[in-house]
Amino acid sequence: MKKLVIVALAATLTVGCKSYLEENTTGLLYGGNVLSTQDGLESALTGAYRGLGNQWTYGFLHPSATAATIGSDDVTTHPASNKADWREFDQFNVSTTNQRSGAVYTGCYKAIQGANNVINNYQKTVGTKATIDIIAGEAYFIRGFSYYWLTRFYGSIPLVLVGEYSSDLLTIKKSTPAEVYALIVDDLKKAETMLPNTRRDPGRPNAGSAKAFLADVYLTMAGWPLKLTANYDLAAAKAKEVIDNRATYGFQLMPTFAAVFENDPAVAMIPESVFQIGGFTGGSGTANATYGNTTMPGEEGGWDDMFAELNFFRDFPAGPRKDATFRTEFGLGTTKTPWDKSLTRHPYYQKWYIKGNVVTSSISLPSVMMRYPHVLTVYAEAKARGTGGPDQAAYDALNAVRLRGRAAGTKALSPADGLTATQFADEVVQERAWEFACERTRWFDLIRLERVEAANAAKSPDDLQPIKPITKANYWFPLPYTDTSINPNLN
Amino acid sequence: MKNYLKLFLLAWLLSSSVAFAQSNRITGRVTGPDNQGLPGVNVQVNGTTTGTSTDASGNYAVNAANNATLVFSNIGYTSQTVAINGRSEINVQLVEDLKTLNEVVVVGYGTQRKTDVTGALTAISNKEFAQQPVTRLDQVLQGRAAGVQVTQTNGAPGGDARIRIRGANSVLGNNDPLYVVDGFVGANFNFVNPSDIETIQVLKDAASTSIYGSRGANGVVIITTKKGSKGLKVNYEGQFSTSENIKRYDVLPAGEFAEIVNARATAVGSGLPFTTDQIAQFKQNGGTDWQSLVFRKGSGQQHQITVSGGNDKTTFLVSGNYLNQNGIVNNSGFKRYILRTNLNTQINDKLSFRLNFWGTRSQNHNTLDGGAIVQALAWAPTTPAYGTDGQPTFTDPIGSVYRNPLDYLYDQSVDQNRTGLNLIGGLNYKLPIKGLSLDLQYAVNFLNAQNLNLNGKRLSNNNPTASRFSAEQFTLQNTNTLNYDLKVGDHSINAVAVLETQQFTDQNFTASAAGLRFPQLGYDNIGGNTAATVASGFQKWTLLSLLGRVNYGYKDKYLVTAAVRRDGSSKFGPANRYSVFPSVALGWRLSEEEFIKNLNVFSNLKLRGSWGMTGSQAINPYATLSTYSTIVSAFNNTAATAGVILGNPGNPDLKWETTKQVDVGLEMEFLNGRIRIEADYFKKNTTDLLLNVAIPSYAGGGTQARNVGEIENKGFEFSIGATPFDKGGFRWETNLNYSTLQNRVISLGGLPRLGQGTGVGAGMSTTNEFMLIPGEPLGSYWGLQYLGTWKPNEADQAARQGRVPGDPHYQDLNGDNAITTDDFQIIGRAFPKGTAGWNNTFTYKGFTLNVFFNGVFGVDKLNYTRAAALSGSGDARQFILSEIRDYYRPGNETSDVPAFTKTYQPFTQSSRFLEDGGFVRLKNVSLSYNVPTGFINNKANIRVFASATNLFTITKYKGPDPESARVGSGTDTAIGIDYGSYPNAKQYTLGINLGF
Repeated sequence: MKKLVIVALAATLTVGCKSYLEENTTGLLYGGNVLSTQDGLESALTGAYRGLGNQWTYGFLHPSATAATIGSDDVTTHPASNKADWREFDQFNVSTTNQRSGAVYTGCYKAIQGANNVINNYQKTVGTKATIDIIAGEAYFIRGFSYYWLTRFYGSIPLVLVGEYSSDLLTIKKSTPAEVYALIVDDLKKAETMLPNTRRDPGRPNAGSAKAFLADVYLTMAGWPLKLTANYDLAAAKAKEVIDNRATYGFQLMPTFAAVFENDPAVAMIPESVFQIGGFTGGSGTANATYGNTTMPGEEGGWDDMFAELNFFRDFPAGPRKDATFRTEFGLGTTKTPWDKSLTRHPYYQKWYIKGNVVTSSISLPSVMMRYPHVLTVYAEAKARGTGGPDQAAYDALNAVRLRGRAAGTKALSPADGLTATQFADEVVQERAWEFACERTRWFDLIRLERVEAANAAKSPDDLQPIKPITKANYWFPLPYTDTSINPNLN
Repeated sequence: MKNYLKLFLLAWLLSSSVAFAQSNRITGRVTGPDNQGLPGVNVQVNGTTTGTSTDASGNYAVNAANNATLVFSNIGYTSQTVAINGRSEINVQLVEDLKTLNEVVVVGYGTQRKTDVTGALTAISNKEFAQQPVTRLDQVLQGRAAGVQVTQTNGAPGGDARIRIRGANSVLGNNDPLYVVDGFVGANFNFVNPSDIETIQVLKDAASTSIYGSRGANGVVIITTKKGSKGLKVNYEGQFSTSENIKRYDVLPAGEFAEIVNARATAVGSGLPFTTDQIAQFKQNGGTDWQSLVFRKGSGQQHQITVSGGNDKTTFLVSGNYLNQNGIVNNSGFKRYILRTNLNTQINDKLSFRLNFWGTRSQNHNTLDGGAIVQALAWAPTTPAYGTDGQPTFTDPIGSVYRNPLDYLYDQSVDQNRTGLNLIGGLNYKLPIKGLSLDLQYAVNFLNAQNLNLNGKRLSNNNPTASRFSAEQFTLQNTNTLNYDLKVGDHSINAVAVLETQQFTDQNFTASAAGLRFPQLGYDNIGGNTAATVASGFQKWTLLSLLGRVNYGYKDKYLVTAAVRRDGSSKFGPANRYSVFPSVALGWRLSEEEFIKNLNVFSNLKLRGSWGMTGSQAINPYATLSTYSTIVSAFNNTAATAGVILGNPGNPDLKWETTKQVDVGLEMEFLNGRIRIEADYFKKNTTDLLLNVAIPSYAGGGTQARNVGEIENKGFEFSIGATPFDKGGFRWETNLNYSTLQNRVISLGGLPRLGQGTGVGAGMSTTNEFMLIPGEPLGSYWGLQYLGTWKPNEADQAARQGRVPGDPHYQDLNGDNAITTDDFQIIGRAFPKGTAGWNNTFTYKGFTLNVFFNGVFGVDKLNYTRAAALSGSGDARQFILSEIRDYYRPGNETSDVPAFTKTYQPFTQSSRFLEDGGFVRLKNVSLSYNVPTGFINNKANIRVFASATNLFTITKYKGPDPESARVGSGTDTAIGIDYGSYPNAKQYTLGINLGF
């Protein structure tokens, strides 16, 4: 018996040594060496993209960015139903807890965190330099892209350049739009040199994507709030560079507008896509919800989230583009209800219907964040507002978009029509409204040109009205409460 | 070692053949106060080691000399000594011992006489719930112990329950009590079969719990399972039950619903969804009653068989339990199988050996909150349940934006299978020094958890998915105890020293498949898919502990207990790895003092007080490290690519939470134990409180754990037990307990407040539903104060906020004419201020009636189920509850149900949907009858019973059940939101108990 007790005690005491309490970290990924390999760096880059696409949570794979931009005159939402958070934007009454703008905010910063981590570590990564540079180039692009969305939504924002958390971040102050734009330009300039001409995957940028966004950024900087009008020339030059090298980057204007919005989940990328965020139903949170249910009427099993404003639809020039843009009869079977006899009495956006009118909110389609005609119109407008006014190339660029969209027989615009530079530029802005209806473009055009008030004044009385008079304060959303409640310096 | 084995075998063999000295054979029957045979009564020939115990019918036979005396004893009864005087048959009726003086209670790492206890603990014996159809430990604890609060948050069979002892100390950590079953520390209460329980001790104050150190802060529940005794006994118990909704929501009939939908459409300028013809048809033919499609009458059965026996040296008990319950939500249910074996053998005077084994398997099927229950109140009564193709209607054009409740019921499987095995082997050896013994115990605990999910073709909208999650937890425990007992004159000493180690290893993996090609195979064959993801994980942590305790008593009058435990945990960095948890307690048995004795009032009077420290680790392993987590991103339409993102930042400075508790208690017994009163006051302060401090989204979001706060819990506990009536065979026993709890946050380490979200109110909540604020309790609801609707004479004021009369009017705290987060405030509390239980047992002859009430007071619930169905929020586009009839409109301007307008902006996170969640519930009423044993020739005891659970509830709560809530037992900061939670049911049970 004594022996037994001794054996038992001895067995017990051996575990009493120090190592018994050492943490066993098998299976954990942590520490600085994670990004020291090329695979680690690539994984972190993939993680950065996650911020841009996490269905129902954050980013652009669900209609949050669309909801946040319906203060423009092209899209509205249901006056009742469960759309209170959508209405806040159309009625210019955005709360600090709105989960739609919040989803864009959270997603962009999550992408920035991932990108910062890559940017701050790639020079120490061991591997093929050419690939590592591309990885870093994509990270610069993601960071520039994300900050561009953020500053356009919120104006002054925290400018964070680190990936790892430190407590200093809790008291960081806001940076002005000028400071933010400086970083965006810098990042996109790096991206345009580091990225290849051919995308590694449909859901990644190439050098052309970076240049196209840089052109758009210059155009925006030339308007409100910075009003750096000298940037119109930079925008025009950068857009021209993309247009001249479109074959190199694989950009192309598709022959018909309808083909652009076939929305066939079997097609990975359309030639008009300048940059897109991938959607795939097979991954956790990677399916795209910006098509289908969200844009469809209740009559078709849709959610009535977004539909066309009445005067916008009325004024929209007839032609193949109008036909492909709007859905004016509802019903998936043989019975059709015309839009003006429907429950919401509004036309809907056909352009976000899935091929075959599939009723779903999860589909393997990308969120295209810029189409090639966007670059054409950036050039046309920037050239017109910049030094020397519109040249023939500007007219060509506008006409390419205009003629494709409008009714057969529409006359091309030419200098002979006698438009002043400003008139021409406004013509481009108007064309953009039609071409990119419900594509989150109109809102930003109205802001940079300070036309939000005017556009909303021209709304149909049967559409939602601003709850109070619109002021410049409504051009930006309030920073999310989640963050202002932690960091008082953001108030 | 070899020698030992020989000895062991020899002892075993010897013990089974006991030789008796020849003398007269005496037989008889021992009965209780109810004239029923008492099994297991010890019958001893006085002054000898000869003895036996009674069988299931109370019969015994023993050999003894003619002039000897027999001693009949049984726990809970007064012993009787009877001289044989030459008789060959002696029948005895035992009287219940109401005094608790000699009761022995189990305390941590030992036992103590109840009279010597200096800490606050509550004992629950199996007698207290024997008459009731309990299937799980929480049902045993609910209402039966002062200071213990039990909430069945999910009313499904096998659903989640929140158990708290003296409130909640931790924000981040788990506040579940520590369960110790037969010495295994950290058992899962779900796996304890109530039929196997001998006794339960609830340890509440620090003097009792500090011996469990870093895991004692939440109180400890010590369970001892039944052991066999001499003589073969077989017991069978069978129960059959049906169950139904306690209450359902009152919804509009289809015709009226259609009218109201039209009225709203007219008010906001939309097209009319219904024609007058359609409305007339709905009025004539009715519509779909979705609640009737979701809910049903449930049913259940339980069978328990226990076989026990043995001889003087070795006893065994083997029990098996089978439980099968179908819940009141269609296609939901729970099954459980438990097998237990307890073996004890006394090898010789010095050495005893024990082996406890149990195995269990449980299966939950679709015991879910939300889903069908939420959609049943979102789908329009005007939408048919099934289409012309016989399939459930796919979309609802009027009501919900989401899936048909029927698809939630029948097109998904959410299954949780749990398999548990526990093996405890121990030996106890009396060392050569008098009073000193050594106890060695080894325990192995294994838990396998399988979560199996299938989202069918319809629910997933043609992208059927299935996943399997498999986890294994493996725990090893070694406990070495030295125990020393000494009594010299007026001094008694008991000392315990323990070395204990525990090692926890968790491993898991998941496989999920999307785009299943063969969804009919469910999760049983997920290979045929278009995309699959896999993941795996590993966790390990260890605990190394040294502890000791000394009890000292002088003249059984003055009592002192001092205990200390030192724990080391691998979860913390080297600087904070070890912590020490001391306690001290004093007791004064006034009833032993002459001046009290002379009063001749008290049979027991004891004053006691204690102070001590306990801890909580409150964090997961590896929280000191910043780790990456794995995610996927899509770069095209055919694949998801794996990547990593930074997770929550780690904090290398993490340390233990420490809870200091003081307790003062008074125990009184009058009239020889006929009235027993116990009262306690306690105050607990938890410092170095771990909080998950939110990281701003711009810094990556998520949270970081920090030791920054302090929480206080204090309260009174009061219990009275009495036998008010005991005459003429009629007897009424009653036990009432009431406890109060006042919880408040003292400090958040400088933070003015800290939000606590639930995630259950997606699409409903605009921010965290709960807020921690110094001075306020945990579980404080954060929301807008609803002031009713804007009235016609307030039109100007409403207009400044962009509203019109009839719109919801929320308090604009800062007067900026905008309703923002600045206007949020504390609108209620989710923590009950008081809980009560009242248990009554009436016996008359063979009949026993049990009536048991349970009450919860001073608590609010945020009723999101009602909010969604009454405000067009979440998935619901319309208003479906009949309450909407009262909506504000011309001629009904006094109504606070908002009007239909374009400027209507509902905030569901407001006092409008905060309701009083207090209730008094007739938890159980049961009537049982012991069939006279003569009925079957004294061969067996037969008891039949009928019982009703949750028969009625008195409450102001508007939902179907004030008890169930959407947030499970894992947290205490964000509780009490009801959003389609699975409601508790009314249950009727018939049962039979056979003993041989």
